[in-house]
Amino acid sequence: MSPIDPSIGPDRAREVFRAELAEVRTDAELQALRTRWVGRKGSWVAAFMEALATATPEQKKPVGRGANELKKEVEAAIAERETALASTKRPPNAVDITLPGRTPVLGHRHPLSLIRDEVIEIFTRLGYQVLEGPEVEDDYHNFEALNMPAEHPARDMQDTLYLTRPMPAFAPDGASAGQARRSHAPQPRTLLRTHTSAMQIRHMEKHDPPVRLVAIGPVYRRDNLDLTHTPMFHQVEGLVVGKGITLADLKGTLTAMAEALFPSTRAEGARSGQAADFIRFRPSFFPYTEPSAEVDIRCIKCKGSGCAMCKKTGWIEILGSGMVHPAVFEAVGYDADEVTGFAFGMGVERVALLKWGVEDIRLFYENDLRFLEQFGL
Amino acid sequence: MKVLLSWIREFVDVKESAEDIGKLMSVRGLALEGLEVIRPALSERSESKGDDVVMDFDVTANRPDCLSMIGIAREIATAYRLPIADTGQVARDFSSAIDPSAPAIPVTINDPELCGRYVAAVADVTVAPSPQWLQDRLTACGIRPISNIVDITNYVLLELGQPMHAFDLDKLAGPAIIVRRARAGESLKTLDGKMRALTPDMLVIADAERAQAIGGVLGGADSEVSSSTKRIVFEAAWFKPSSVRATSKKLGLKTEASTRFERGMDQTAPARAMARACDLLEQINAGQSDGRTVDVYPQAHVPNQVKLERRRVPGLLGMDVPDAEVERILASLGFTTAPHKGVPYDGWLVTAPGWRVDIHRPVDVIEEVGRHYGFEHLPTTFPGVQQAPAPSDPRIARDRRTRNAALGMGFSEAITFAFIDTAAAEPFLPSTTLGAGSGGEPVGLANPLSEKFAVMRPSLLPGLIDAVSHNRRHGRRDVRLFEIGTRFSPAGESRGIGLAWTGLATADHWSGARRDVDFSDIKGVVEQLAASAAVAPAFTETTATYLVPGRAAHIVVNGRVVGTFGQLESAAGERRDLPSGDAVCVAEIDLDALTAESPTDTLRAATLPKYPAVVRDVSILVDDALSAETVRGTIRSAAPATLIQVREFDRYQGKGIPDGKVSLSFRLTFQSVERTLTDEEVQADMQTILDALTRDLGAIQR
Repeated sequence: MSPIDPSIGPDRAREVFRAELAEVRTDAELQALRTRWVGRKGSWVAAFMEALATATPEQKKPVGRGANELKKEVEAAIAERETALASTKRPPNAVDITLPGRTPVLGHRHPLSLIRDEVIEIFTRLGYQVLEGPEVEDDYHNFEALNMPAEHPARDMQDTLYLTRPMPAFAPDGASAGQARRSHAPQPRTLLRTHTSAMQIRHMEKHDPPVRLVAIGPVYRRDNLDLTHTPMFHQVEGLVVGKGITLADLKGTLTAMAEALFPSTRAEGARSGQAADFIRFRPSFFPYTEPSAEVDIRCIKCKGSGCAMCKKTGWIEILGSGMVHPAVFEAVGYDADEVTGFAFGMGVERVALLKWGVEDIRLFYENDLRFLEQFGL
Repeated sequence: MKVLLSWIREFVDVKESAEDIGKLMSVRGLALEGLEVIRPALSERSESKGDDVVMDFDVTANRPDCLSMIGIAREIATAYRLPIADTGQVARDFSSAIDPSAPAIPVTINDPELCGRYVAAVADVTVAPSPQWLQDRLTACGIRPISNIVDITNYVLLELGQPMHAFDLDKLAGPAIIVRRARAGESLKTLDGKMRALTPDMLVIADAERAQAIGGVLGGADSEVSSSTKRIVFEAAWFKPSSVRATSKKLGLKTEASTRFERGMDQTAPARAMARACDLLEQINAGQSDGRTVDVYPQAHVPNQVKLERRRVPGLLGMDVPDAEVERILASLGFTTAPHKGVPYDGWLVTAPGWRVDIHRPVDVIEEVGRHYGFEHLPTTFPGVQQAPAPSDPRIARDRRTRNAALGMGFSEAITFAFIDTAAAEPFLPSTTLGAGSGGEPVGLANPLSEKFAVMRPSLLPGLIDAVSHNRRHGRRDVRLFEIGTRFSPAGESRGIGLAWTGLATADHWSGARRDVDFSDIKGVVEQLAASAAVAPAFTETTATYLVPGRAAHIVVNGRVVGTFGQLESAAGERRDLPSGDAVCVAEIDLDALTAESPTDTLRAATLPKYPAVVRDVSILVDDALSAETVRGTIRSAAPATLIQVREFDRYQGKGIPDGKVSLSFRLTFQSVERTLTDEEVQADMQTILDALTRDLGAIQR
């Protein structure tokens, strides 16, 4: 930087100073600028004052005032810039906050467990008790009491896994309400339950109506592993028994459950003005319910326009349900003329597959962290 | 069931498209599985116009009557409020043709329980291929055309649902037909060319000498209709469902006939079916029956009757259905309804048609009314609450609490199959782990899917070790997994939590200080899980074939072993494809046992201490074989009640410490609830403790 010519006068000097100040980026540059303009020696102010010393008093007064003003202005501008520069400077011991944090390890929930809790939450809200039952069952509770006597064709619908050696029967409970009603002797347990419906019988044998329960847990069928089948899967079972329970009550309850489980599909329906079209009840057949209904929701993928996933029907089946068959009430000693009831069973895996677009059911049992970590807490 | 739209339209004049019919029937109980367009239409009268459609309906197991064109047509007619054509094609009345004195062929039913009806007709025939339209219809519905005679039996099967059979009359000894149980040791070559060993629980159709068909399942090869056949016997019969089912299952032989008979056929149908078959014979110029039909019908069908109370309909459905609709729907489905007033009930006496083998109770009839009135008309209501809901299974809250603790400690939740292979189960059987228990046998499966799923898991660890191995093989070095699930032993089931941990024990961070998991890490997890159940367990050294010796411990609560943990023996990991050299720490706790030892509702909040605590450190030199537990015990027994905490804060061996010795440092906290402790008394207490350590353990203060 060339020395400043003191003869250029305060006005021109001000322009030069401002231009130079605009170029300043660092603290060091700013200090150099200060020395150059207002330093004691060799600065513009010093040189100007020196030149002024030889001027006449008439010349001195206005020029001197201008120089002093400029000097104050320069000092103020430098001080201001100094503060500005200081504010951008990182404090001592500053950390680079963009470096990754020291993350405490937090586990991830299994998606099936998330659905399970969601269902528990929904039904707890509706005033149900939540139960679990044995996974090894006897023939009576898994089939016979559910209106599937030996040689019943419906037993083929659920290919059963049997134990090589039976487990002991449960010891009969003490003086419970159902004890007197129970007509069968305790049986050794010989099979892996094919559905959580076995729980219905165990509960009703011991408790008088009204009944209002959901049972959740693993069930087992002799199905080979493929994209949509696993030999173990999870079921949610619901049972409500009391005076005046109707199929319409079932419809209301299951509609509420489906809306809670699939809120986005529900919302989609509402937006398109087809809210009523979100869910449908199809007559079907199960040995332990009459009438029976399967429940479909609007296809998650195509929203009802028809795709490969829903076999072009626009609907996806999510569960089976119906009104408890009088034969089931007879088996547990309920008076079928006094009470009615509804029951439903839903596959947890199926809900998870649909809800999150999981394409292979086997992923639920591989426990690959890359899969599990997609689900939250 | 594949049905042809043109065929259905011969029974019901439904104008809607196949798609529309499919949509409506899906909500009336017949789910449409598929549609296939065929052109041109496969009409019997060959006046084909436009396309035809094969509709594939999913027929539920209770509705064998819908395994036919007429059955599906009846449902469609009811759904669309259309009349169903009187099956005019089945016009011939056989009642006059039956002449018991001069039967076309003698028919004897030896076991009327298993065969309730047997209709037979004899005909002269010319065996040839069927006309094209007939072949096309069979093909469209999934049945291979064979010859005009066999095709007629299949056509009637599809149209009316009644399975039929044709024998070559000249191949029957007698000729006679005897319906009997198979003889011990009897065998039969069936139409599929296989020799079948028969047993006396099976029903056969025999001639004067031997079995010629398995009743309701499959015909025999020796009396098969062939190109040289001149005379035939048509069979249309009724067989007992459970018997056909048992026979079909035993022989591993499922046929169109057995599928229908085992679900239940219409006892009134065989005569109609026979008339239709004989008509078709003439219609396609395949032959001529001699008009003498044999009908052996020991006990005429008694129609099922149901008393339907009017109030039960809305009572079960939760919606009102007008009387006119109840009557219309039932009549359209073939039921007859007789109104019944007053006592003992107000409603209808409903008589089911012969083909409705599923109607036994009022609810069965209400279902018919409900589904054809339409579930879409059901309001959405909720069951009322009459009393406070009963409490849920306490395991649910407990498992949730345990799960949250494990998640918080960095473990992700796994769910593994409850069946494993025998070798994986072996090291975890009770005799090899807990020592106690009911023997070393796993719970085996009689019909496992494969060797991989042969036994029920005795422990959660084999499944978790496999899951760790899966993650390791997929590039994941740091794995923490847990599972809460059922374990199986011959005595029963129990719920446990298993944990497996490999890789880093610390955060993976650029600032360094990485360390892999060791015994102390898994022990800490176990302690926290116990704390979450409000239990402070003791730990005892143990051995297990799957754990590294010296790094294996039992978790003991109130003298009861509730779990095991330690470092996995590397051989045990390698057997499950885990790389050797990786430390894997595992733990398993019997949650049911832990719960049984947990205090219930005994928590009373303690008042916070008013007086300050005094902290003193002490370092001692002792034999390194002494356990920390022993040293702690000596300190505790020597100290007054004011000692509220003892904590190890250093353990050192190496430079400056003689061989065989270890330097232990303890931090002792003294506090009184009554007053501030003085330096002097704490000093005196410390001296007492040191004296005890010196006297009992030979400790030297450092």
